[in-house]
Amino acid sequence: MITFDKTARSTPGGRKAGESRSAEHVIRLENLTKDYDRLRAVDDLSLEIRGGEILGFLGPNGAGKTTTINMICGTARPSAGQVRFSGGDLKGHLGLCPQENVYWPKLTCTEQLVFMGEMYGMPRRRAQKRAAELLERLGLSEKARVLAARLSGGMKRRLNLCLGLIHDPKILILDEPEAGLDPQSRILVREFIRSLAKQKTVVLTTHNMDEADRLSDRVAIIDRGRLLLLETPANLKRSIGEGDILEITLRNPAKHLPQTAAEALSALTRRIQVRDKTLILKSKDMIQSLPAITQVLEKAGLGIAGITMRENTLEDVFIHLTGKNLRE
Amino acid sequence: MKLLSVIRKSIREQWRHFWILLLTLSMAPFFVLVYYLINEASKPHYDLLVVNRDLGADGGNSGEAWIGRLQGDWSDSTLAPLHVTAVDDSAAALRLLRSRKADALILLPRDFSLSLQSGEKHGPVQVELIGDLTDIQYMVTAVWTGEHLAGFIHEQMVLNRPLVFKETALGMSGRLDDFDLYVPGLLILSTVMLMFSSAIALVTEVENRTILRLKLSRVKAVELLSGITLVQLGVGMLSVLFTLLVALGLGFDLAGSAGLFVAICILTSLSIIAFSLILAAATRTANEILVIGNFPLFLFMFFTGAAFPISGRTLFKIGGYPVTLQGLMSPTHAVSALKKVLIFDMSCAEIVPELLALSP
Repeated sequence: MITFDKTARSTPGGRKAGESRSAEHVIRLENLTKDYDRLRAVDDLSLEIRGGEILGFLGPNGAGKTTTINMICGTARPSAGQVRFSGGDLKGHLGLCPQENVYWPKLTCTEQLVFMGEMYGMPRRRAQKRAAELLERLGLSEKARVLAARLSGGMKRRLNLCLGLIHDPKILILDEPEAGLDPQSRILVREFIRSLAKQKTVVLTTHNMDEADRLSDRVAIIDRGRLLLLETPANLKRSIGEGDILEITLRNPAKHLPQTAAEALSALTRRIQVRDKTLILKSKDMIQSLPAITQVLEKAGLGIAGITMRENTLEDVFIHLTGKNLRE
Repeated sequence: MKLLSVIRKSIREQWRHFWILLLTLSMAPFFVLVYYLINEASKPHYDLLVVNRDLGADGGNSGEAWIGRLQGDWSDSTLAPLHVTAVDDSAAALRLLRSRKADALILLPRDFSLSLQSGEKHGPVQVELIGDLTDIQYMVTAVWTGEHLAGFIHEQMVLNRPLVFKETALGMSGRLDDFDLYVPGLLILSTVMLMFSSAIALVTEVENRTILRLKLSRVKAVELLSGITLVQLGVGMLSVLFTLLVALGLGFDLAGSAGLFVAICILTSLSIIAFSLILAAATRTANEILVIGNFPLFLFMFFTGAAFPISGRTLFKIGGYPVTLQGLMSPTHAVSALKKVLIFDMSCAEIVPELLALSP
């Protein structure tokens, strides 16, 4: 069920999954559940989406991301629970960029953007102006009069995004916005999405951890229809998983670490591994411990020939939470 | 505003789906052409050979005069296409007859003119008719030729004919041929073809998933459907116009009320567009429509009288109007109404049951 809550206020405080820290939310999912025959696609999902934030939905295939989005858009009916919008009826204020390119192949880019604008009640002139502006911003100006069917895959993807934005929606929902884009287009689209931040509320689903990390203010990780965590990418990387990985090439390697060095390193890190001349250490917030680690190694006479550090990534967090098993 | 926008978009898409538009617009005119050719090929045609051995007399050559009259009279008639060929040599004429190049041969005697001038003193004129006596073509040719020749002789001999036939055409049979009777059905067939373009116009929104965008927008279903319907109605009228122009070009005689004609075509188009909604609901893609749509097309073409005249068994009557199984299909009523208007020049009051059956 979808309701419009004009007096809704956000829940302050806690940091548990699904709970917001902000005072202003625009969408609240309350115990949202969706069943398809015997399959529960979304299972009792509750969270709040704040105004002006970019919220990334992360999850393996079949996790329930697209189903959740469909319920937010009103194109799928929840089996239980509800989607509440603050600020009244948001019909016409939602913009959707679906996972598949959805466009009219026999209309030119401008024709379909203007048509969609008019369907949202925009005057023709304004729709034309907005269409030209969007095509310019997403690098499609030269293709304005070309039939959509004749565009390349990346261009179609960008047109798909333009169609979701033609009516200047308050809330933009992007389902895998960077899928099928070449690196140049990906940068263009990413910068464009980032430019929307603060003006609009953006909800995006993605498999691309880098995309989610770079774009999202907060990330919601869902699996098997359930919300596992909702946090900022930085907090997630800091708090979940085995942490950053530090690889140190030793100048004077020993078959076994000296007892004192091993004990000191154990206190500073979570895991220690020796492979030939390389010492591999894992720890959260490794950068803080780095001076102490180098000091221990120098003191033990092992010497340091080189250091490589890889920060804990969102992918590490994701795998830690959802496991390595294939889905679907 | 939104309605105008939907119309604009539908016109563009319809134009750019060129092959679908071409199929819709060309099918019925093509059928008109085919029916015209079939009608022309199957029209009764009689070939008569005449060997004039008449030597003539002082008053001229009566044989030549009769042949001239025969050729002139029959070439003016559209009802009896009797083709008269004068042949000099009777042996050559017999060869033509044997090889079925002609249906009958008439040999005028040497004293044909003399006999007519001498009157009853000379005795009966001996004219020989040759042909396959079992062949209906021969019989018709011989009867017509004999009748014409008898009239000529009576005239030449200034004799009073004891019997003169006056022919009265039954219905429009004196003026219309099979082709004219088929055209109203074919005009309805041109609207039946709308089924494809209308259903495809709707189903492509589902196939391309653009219906999702429309659902999220503020457009109402009635605005969307009205826009598509108006464009399809325009396509239907264009199709009827093309079909009519081809029919007129091939000799169809347009009669009856133009207003009623247009009203019937509009009502039929709307009923076909409404049917296409059912078709679109039962399919997912344009390809499915092009396959599945052939089944109702066959029914509409062959069981409503659109392509061939068909008489259904009356199940019951409502106010004297017979209800048949075929009557479940709207083109049946449209064909009936259009035949009444275009062929029998009937008024609106006389086609009320058909109009009611066609009304949404």
